[in-house]
Amino acid sequence: MEPTYHDGGVNFCWRVPYLFSGPKRYDVVAVRFAGSRVMLLKRVVALEGEQVEFRDGKLFVDGKEVKEHYVLYPCNWNLPPRWVEKDCVYVIGDNRNMPMENHYFGQASKNRIVGVPLW
Amino acid sequence: MVKIRYILLAVLIVTVGIVVVFYFLPSEEKKVRKQCHLLSEGVLKSPEENAFTMLQKMKNIGALFDEHCELKAPSQSLSGSYTRQEISTYAGSARSFFSQLDLKFYDFHIVFPEKEVAKVTLTARLTGRSTAGEQVDETRELECILKKIEKKWLFSAIEVVEVLKK
Repeated sequence: MEPTYHDGGVNFCWRVPYLFSGPKRYDVVAVRFAGSRVMLLKRVVALEGEQVEFRDGKLFVDGKEVKEHYVLYPCNWNLPPRWVEKDCVYVIGDNRNMPMENHYFGQASKNRIVGVPLW
Repeated sequence: MVKIRYILLAVLIVTVGIVVVFYFLPSEEKKVRKQCHLLSEGVLKSPEENAFTMLQKMKNIGALFDEHCELKAPSQSLSGSYTRQEISTYAGSARSFFSQLDLKFYDFHIVFPEKEVAKVTLTARLTGRSTAGEQVDETRELECILKKIEKKWLFSAIEVVEVLKK
């Protein structure tokens, strides 16, 4: 999530925001990656039923380019369009300064979204 | 009076015996966990490992699996059904790419959906160093099915949970 959050930093997960409502677009969320302790910090870029794709490093949601002010490092990712399934959100990290294959991103079940970072 | 004393003593011995048996006799859950730890031990590799140890570990890994085991790993080309022998050979081949390897399991959640079937959800962390000197540190959530065959819990399916689907 560089540069928004730095590697090795310490944070707390605030669970309350998603007790009564789901994640919203551009929220930075903690995704439960394995067990109850391994979390990933990612940004929600698309919601269920929306179409996501990358063209030459630019993110498109439902065919419209998304201006991502939080991404500082450019990338050249290309990802064919895909639909976000029911009860899922599409999450990506802010640090795109790496090959697409090495970056953990994609569609995550809302059940896996634990909360938001406290700061 | 003496008779009552003997009866009380007998009751006490039986009670202690039952407690000891329940405490020390491994439960099915403990047996399942032990199989996972044996798998960790089989994968463990130190830079000083010799050929004999390697062969022994390959054999030990194979012995933890059912005759046929389903592997499902969405992002890798491992998915499919493998025989015990194939798993043993594959494990040996995979280990040869590393000079140092350690597999640890955490966050066990074990349920028994059917008789003699255990479903284990756990976190697996693989750390080590490749023979090319690259550092490896991968963590994944796994879902394993173990079946009790001839009093042994054997892995019959392992799935790497796909949390983020590109």
